[in-house]
Amino acid sequence: MPFNLEKFKTAYQKWVSESLPEYEAGRMTEIVKRYPFVVSDDIPWTPYRGRPSEQTFALVTSGGLFLKDSQPAFDDVSIHGDPSFRVIPKSVSQKDIGIAHAHYDHSLAEQDIDIIFPIHRLNELAEEKIIGKVADSNYSFSYVNDVATLVTETIPEYISRIKADGVDVVLLMPV
Amino acid sequence: MTEAAGIPTISMGNMADRMAHIKPPRALLVKFARGSMFGEPGNVARQRRILLDALDALKTMTEPGTIRELPYRWKQPDPA
Repeated sequence: MPFNLEKFKTAYQKWVSESLPEYEAGRMTEIVKRYPFVVSDDIPWTPYRGRPSEQTFALVTSGGLFLKDSQPAFDDVSIHGDPSFRVIPKSVSQKDIGIAHAHYDHSLAEQDIDIIFPIHRLNELAEEKIIGKVADSNYSFSYVNDVATLVTETIPEYISRIKADGVDVVLLMPV
Repeated sequence: MTEAAGIPTISMGNMADRMAHIKPPRALLVKFARGSMFGEPGNVARQRRILLDALDALKTMTEPGTIRELPYRWKQPDPA
């Protein structure tokens, strides 16, 4: 584990109990300042090798994207956020995508999802053979404060999936 | 954690102070607001260009923690 999980959990529980009234009142500025942010001392690093034209690329966003007709929306009410992810297929259309994230303005992305999740541009690069292929499964996370669940459950599941899919490079698109 | 699992990443960002704190392994910094990391809606050429910049960064960044600032601005033509 890249950080002290037990120490985080203790600090996080204290933050939740102290911050809940302000969170529920929508007063985010102060509670964000108090949040026990987890910062790694080291920068994890895997050297890049090979050629994009022979490799598989996946997109990962924190934008709260989900498929309106087949997937549940993220919980955008809880102070814990929602530590789960949704699989977004590379064939997705703009009209299929919903956005559940209460902490950024997604009105423009609802017009053009590629300004936060450029899946259609990436597909075009694959058609032009600039990259090898786009992974069939791409991933969206949403707003999360419960980092403990994220790092112990959700992220390991996501990593085992992208490895099984043969993903060579991940493009990280935070919002 | 993706990098620690052996898969290289390139990250986008729009807040230099936050990126200095998070320390992504390789990153591109843009001047666009939250919620529109690739600029104004419908600017297909801009979106493509930033992805090509990401591929270039992947191939050329050799130091962990490198952040490259991109020059693009909202609704202005891209520099040559």
